[in-house]
Amino acid sequence: MPQITEQQAGAEAMFASIGDGAITTDEYGRITRVNPVAQELLGFTEAELIGEWFPKIIVAVNFDDSTIALLDRPITKTFLTGKPVVAKLNYRHKNGHNVPVSITASPIIFEDKPLGCIEVIRDITLEQEIDRMKSEFISLASHQLRTPLSAVKTYTHMLADGYMGKLNPAQKQSLATIISASNRMNELISTLLNITRIESGTIAVTPKSFKLDSAIEDLMPELGLMAKDKSIKLSFVTRDSYSTSLKTDSLIFKEIVTNLVSNAIKYTPRSGTVTITLKPRRADIMIEVSDTGWGIPKYSQDQVFSKFFRADNIIKRETTGTGLGLYLVKGLIGALNGKIWFTSEEGSGTHFFFSLPRQHRQPAKPK
Amino acid sequence: MAGNANGSIYDQVVKVTNVYLGPATERFIARQVENHLQKAPEELTKADLLSLMDWIKAGVSLLTEDSGIVEEYMAELRKLGEPANGES
Repeated sequence: MPQITEQQAGAEAMFASIGDGAITTDEYGRITRVNPVAQELLGFTEAELIGEWFPKIIVAVNFDDSTIALLDRPITKTFLTGKPVVAKLNYRHKNGHNVPVSITASPIIFEDKPLGCIEVIRDITLEQEIDRMKSEFISLASHQLRTPLSAVKTYTHMLADGYMGKLNPAQKQSLATIISASNRMNELISTLLNITRIESGTIAVTPKSFKLDSAIEDLMPELGLMAKDKSIKLSFVTRDSYSTSLKTDSLIFKEIVTNLVSNAIKYTPRSGTVTITLKPRRADIMIEVSDTGWGIPKYSQDQVFSKFFRADNIIKRETTGTGLGLYLVKGLIGALNGKIWFTSEEGSGTHFFFSLPRQHRQPAKPK
Repeated sequence: MAGNANGSIYDQVVKVTNVYLGPATERFIARQVENHLQKAPEELTKADLLSLMDWIKAGVSLLTEDSGIVEEYMAELRKLGEPANGES
């Protein structure tokens, strides 16, 4: 039928001319079509790809160079969910080097039946390079900001402590505001520096055995003050069926707990509760930070650990916040070979969980 | 009702699949039923089998290169949809 032929010709022309790489497979995962951009990106000719089993010829690896399991590949996941799957990963070029790509895999469905898959591939080499340069700039700028800030803090404290003469109540109040603001700026600089260290793989991890319950107890006075400011009930519970000792970096551990708890306090309305629970298990130790806060909307939950992410319901209530806290926490937990996950219901609160393995191993350096 | 003398149709699908997918079976089949048929695994009926098989086939084809194994597995699943003795 000429009409179908015309439609097909149009579809072929569109497939061949789109600016991103595109590959289609049949129901057996064998490549049926590949456009010129995809051929260029992967280094294979059309003849080398057509008829080949997609997962075998197109090797996918994580950014740390570890292999992605077949079940976890976007093309497989799209058939498990029936929905488009977006991911960033490396595809291996024919000549052996990795190409960082952003891909969208979608099932091809006709009359409710999956006939195959289409994967649209975008080369993000330049994007990653810009990101790396941006991180370097943030790192440099943060270091440069720290030096003048140290002078501001030192002299403000000297003024507040009366070294330059007695202060009246209005002057004391003004200095308290300056100290609080410079503390916030210092925290922000630390966060930015930590993020650049994680992203560049230069964060120093010094594993030493210590008791996690004692480390959390050490943090309680400072966290308690933050909670008291909002009349929030903060409690700490240990379920010590196994040892609470672990060989990991205590400073990073404390930073993770501080971040999660201060986040929970920040996003919980006055008179709510925040609970830290330590659950030592045979192979790992799990820490739960739960709150009775505003929660995270379902539609935003997959972005929670993204850089600069702030949920809609929070932006309306809290104007401050950088959206870097949970991104940093995830990176810090990764540096300790741990895992983080959460459950949340809008209006009811959030439970963040993280676990740290008892066996410490050096994490892979990001590429 | 999905159940019969040999267990529910879901249990039978899991049993057949276990030969091919091993430990990943339960998670794989449960997700297929929930995502594509929008029902709980225990609500699976024989009438859902063909539609479920289309998605299983597409998913499994990305886990093994051998289309012969995929077809053999599909044939085993197809048998589960055939009327048992005494069933019309």
